[in-house]
Amino acid sequence: MLSSLSLFLLSAFVALASAASDYHEQLLLRPLPQDTLLASFNFRSNESQTSFEQQNFRYVPRSLGQILQHAHTQELHLRFSVGRWDAENWGQRPWQGSREGGTGVELWAWIEAESEEQAFARWLTLTNALSGLFCASINFIDATKTIRPVMAFSPEGDHRNAPNLHLLHGTLPHEVVCTENLTPFLKLLPCKGKAGISSLLDGHKLFDASFQTMAIDVRPVCNLDDGNCSLEMEQSVDMVLDIARSKRPRDNPIPRPLPVDQIECDSSKGYNAHDTCFPLNKGTEPGWTLEEVFGKPLRGSCPLIEDSDDTNSVCINTPPERTVDIKSDGEFRETKFASDTLRCYKLPVGADFDLVLPEQKMTTGLNRPDPQLFAARSINGHGQERGSTQAIIKNPSTTEPVEFVYLESLPWFMKPYLHTLRAHVDSSSESPIKETYYRPALDRHRGTHLELRMVIPPSSTLTLTYEFEKAILRYTEYPPDANRGFDVAPAVIRVLSPQAADKQGIYIRTTSLLLPLPTPDFSMPYNVIILTSTVMALGFGNIFNLLVRRFVGADEVPTTAGGLKGILQAKVAGIKAKLGRA
Amino acid sequence: MALISSILALRRDARILKIPPYLSALCIVIGIAWLLVLPLNEYSRNTYVSENALLPGQVHTYFTGSEHNVFRAYRQEVHAMIDRPVEERSQRLGDIFRSNNLKVATQKYSYHVSNRTIANENVYAILQGPRADATEAIVLIGAWKNMDDEVNNSGVALVLTLARYFKRWSLWSKDIIFLVSGDSTTGPQAWVDAYHDGHDERYVESLKIKSGALQAAVAVDYPAGPWGHRYDKLHVLYDGVNGQLPNLDLFNTAVQIASSQMGIGCAIQRMFDHRDSYKERLQTMLRGMVSQGLGHATGPHSSFIPYHVDAITLSTVGDGWHDEMSLGKTIESLFRSLNNLLEHLHQSFFFYLLIQANRFISIGTYLPSAMLIAVNFSITSIALWVASGRSTEPIPNPASTAPPKDDSAAKKDIAALSTESRQPEMELVEQDDHKALVPKASTAITERHLLFPLLSVLTIHFLGLIPLYMFNTWGAENLSRLYLTFANGTTLLPLVIAWFLSELRPLSTQEVTLIQCFSLLLLGMILAALATLNFSQSFLIGVLATPLSFVRKTNKTWLTAIQLGFLAVLNPVMVAQWSAKLLGADLQEVLVLAAQGWHVWGLWTQVTVWLIWFPAWVLGSVVVAGGVMEGGLVG
Repeated sequence: MLSSLSLFLLSAFVALASAASDYHEQLLLRPLPQDTLLASFNFRSNESQTSFEQQNFRYVPRSLGQILQHAHTQELHLRFSVGRWDAENWGQRPWQGSREGGTGVELWAWIEAESEEQAFARWLTLTNALSGLFCASINFIDATKTIRPVMAFSPEGDHRNAPNLHLLHGTLPHEVVCTENLTPFLKLLPCKGKAGISSLLDGHKLFDASFQTMAIDVRPVCNLDDGNCSLEMEQSVDMVLDIARSKRPRDNPIPRPLPVDQIECDSSKGYNAHDTCFPLNKGTEPGWTLEEVFGKPLRGSCPLIEDSDDTNSVCINTPPERTVDIKSDGEFRETKFASDTLRCYKLPVGADFDLVLPEQKMTTGLNRPDPQLFAARSINGHGQERGSTQAIIKNPSTTEPVEFVYLESLPWFMKPYLHTLRAHVDSSSESPIKETYYRPALDRHRGTHLELRMVIPPSSTLTLTYEFEKAILRYTEYPPDANRGFDVAPAVIRVLSPQAADKQGIYIRTTSLLLPLPTPDFSMPYNVIILTSTVMALGFGNIFNLLVRRFVGADEVPTTAGGLKGILQAKVAGIKAKLGRA
Repeated sequence: MALISSILALRRDARILKIPPYLSALCIVIGIAWLLVLPLNEYSRNTYVSENALLPGQVHTYFTGSEHNVFRAYRQEVHAMIDRPVEERSQRLGDIFRSNNLKVATQKYSYHVSNRTIANENVYAILQGPRADATEAIVLIGAWKNMDDEVNNSGVALVLTLARYFKRWSLWSKDIIFLVSGDSTTGPQAWVDAYHDGHDERYVESLKIKSGALQAAVAVDYPAGPWGHRYDKLHVLYDGVNGQLPNLDLFNTAVQIASSQMGIGCAIQRMFDHRDSYKERLQTMLRGMVSQGLGHATGPHSSFIPYHVDAITLSTVGDGWHDEMSLGKTIESLFRSLNNLLEHLHQSFFFYLLIQANRFISIGTYLPSAMLIAVNFSITSIALWVASGRSTEPIPNPASTAPPKDDSAAKKDIAALSTESRQPEMELVEQDDHKALVPKASTAITERHLLFPLLSVLTIHFLGLIPLYMFNTWGAENLSRLYLTFANGTTLLPLVIAWFLSELRPLSTQEVTLIQCFSLLLLGMILAALATLNFSQSFLIGVLATPLSFVRKTNKTWLTAIQLGFLAVLNPVMVAQWSAKLLGADLQEVLVLAAQGWHVWGLWTQVTVWLIWFPAWVLGSVVVAGGVMEGGLVG
């Protein structure tokens, strides 16, 4: 509870800070159970609407700004994610899930346009431009992967001046996010990864994380008092590091078995001997430093941050008893919030900064807020023709029902049967579905779009199932790479009530699914074609011959022999006949 | 073309009907000979890994050092669980998995088969690949008890140690599921059914946590006790339920890693001392075929294969110098290879016969032998169809100047008959401008009466449902008695049916021929289809049913007796008896296992036996037994 309070305080604090300055960055570290560490990086830059329209860019990067202007995009959300959040152990998601996407790439934007066609054309412009900017296959988000969500998303910004907004949403679940996406991401930052907290971001560690998501959010923000609007761009990176794995040196990353004397054995076991060791968990919080975990030192503060007393760039959220030592040659300042569970530091300028946490035996457990919902989705059944999808959504709260929107965006070749859609809550017989929005797929033109508004009573589990049929693709429609099956985008769950404290909302995403489709062995058709052609030629040739050739008895055939001899014989016979007649 | 037209011309030749029995026999001889030459070098190939991504044995393995100490401790832990109740065992296994930060769940199952209850509990843990997206998973199985009902002490300990070891690696691109199943056949079946949501919730609990699509499964069987046992070889088991096989690439990868990288010899089909001679190759192949033909589960891996999850079991055999760490390294290397897979295993063969751990025969080479056996029935059936359409009277040759040779009755009557009446009845045939006189008998059309033969064939085939039902539902304690009753009953059944028929509705020769024709037609068609699914089963049933092509109704009592005696030995029920004795199995156990297979594994062998082979045998025997009745009546 304390921790969630501190989180709330922190986000309020961040909002306040961002309103005050044009550029702001913050790193929040939170040790999680099982020797993992959540690092949430957040960068915010502001640009006043007038200077943005005049193409006068300071903190918002020109490259992205011009794309947004060209594609008439008012609000943009782009996500790159790898791995999955382990809600059971790690609890609530960072930013309540509002700054993360499904596995792969997820993009949604509010585009200003007069008609749907124009909106879609601008959407294509946007995806193609972003594809080039982020070195990702975002240009593959075409009509079949685009949906127009109705309930699952609402704008975060103030759009009073833009009446004709169209929301478009696309996903690429199979996109592999890697360092080539991180580099352009860092280039958008004012300090470009050279100073400030962004100097910690290193491809090797970021992509070795157990869960990692990068987000870019652009939205207009208006001041209610004076009506001044500005464009706010927020970049965030959330990663969960396995501390033991991250601490391995880069030149020796192999997890070799530890020497026996470094393993703690349970000596209470009767069989414990020099060659037999039941490993014990030490029960201590592991020690780490920023440099060890991120593989790079923190190179002081980004000089572009406005210098004021409350700009705290690094915060760590641990129980007060945890020892945190600071190693820095420069001048820094520590502030404590939320009954000392949140310690924040103002970074020195031009000097390295490091947090040192020694290995420590803790008496108080880690604080960890529970998520509103747990969700898991899987494919059932087997075979090439049909299957079913099952989503299990659990409400852990013992008092409050949870209302949420469940959004599925399915590829066209996965054809759900809506009549088989069953939602069942284990604690009541009442249907939990309050509202359904369904837009069926069109073969090769658009995918299925399904949105359900549902309510789960307290401490209950909702099971949602539907069956589907797998379409057979044309052989040119298979991607040219190794075919392991097709990925189905994660379902997006937006919690409506209890309401989120801010406009960002509470989101949960399931894992993506692998849909194995009937796949031809592409060398086989050639063999089959050759074989069948041979058989056809032989069989057809013979039968055709039998049909068109006239068979006559051997005695009915003129007895003349063929060839030259026959011709001669016929001549001789003719002459003989003439002579005989004569 | 000339060949075809001359064959067409031969169509009405009486001699053509004499060929089919020889043709059938030739098919059988070639079919069996074909099988016998398969082990030769010319017809088999060395195995090779087709899937480039697998790269077997290309990685260094690090499973050594302190992992050995941990393994010894886990082996002691597992040993201490042996006498504990199932719940406590699951709890303790779960605790070890949980202490390594894995997600753990249990699954109870309780089947009721033949009045027995098979109940136990599976424990499984999921290692979520750090970079994986939960779409694919590979399974490592350590069944609590192996196929010989020994506690898989070291095997389970190895699974626990590997779970701890694998958790530290960050390179897994797929989830890894560690499954400790309650037993070797029912537990994995319950688990894999529930994983694909194909389970019956009355008997099997649903899985609480799941991962992505299963790509492969490897089971470990290492029953050494708490003080270890050094083994000599790895016995690789690969037969799935209903004779389905895993992709050959998985088998090859395992064999190559074990033999090349770790230096552990591999054996298959219990041929532990294989010196690569013709005889041993043939023996391996035949053992493989019997195992495939029976279609039973041979290990924890068997249940996975029907779900298109390639799976094998590695089992340790003999006394040698290899220890648990080399087995652990083999599995580590195998999992590293499987982790490389970009797509489901599909490159290599799914249909093969192995004659040695690194030699195989592909489907294109062996399939003709079962097909030839199946074709022999079709040939006889076609011949019988043609024969049923011919009149029973011999067609005289009007052009013959020689008098009928052996017709003694005719000789006596020569004087009495006028010359005109000795000539066969002739008919004038006109076509176009040509006219011809042909004997009437050769143009006469014999009508086939199909209804009764068709009905009787279908009825007998449906009657197969009775034993199918009884053997699968009766209690285990009654199965032996049921079997004895059936063995006696079915031996007498053809005689009883034939007697009833002769009393109630004597069959005409044509009906007898048609019954045999339809029965063989069905048998030939089904065996040919079966050969593509389960080659061995089709071949074995085909060979055991071959006499059905040659037995005929005859008036000679001694011939009928010989035929009946021969058929009695090849009665499917009797075959079960003597083959069980020959293979050293207990018949009672076989019957119980068969019922278990039907209810739990989804075994189809009983269906082929009771609904295809058995009815065909009954019909063949009834046809022969008809001779006894007539002979008896005449006598």
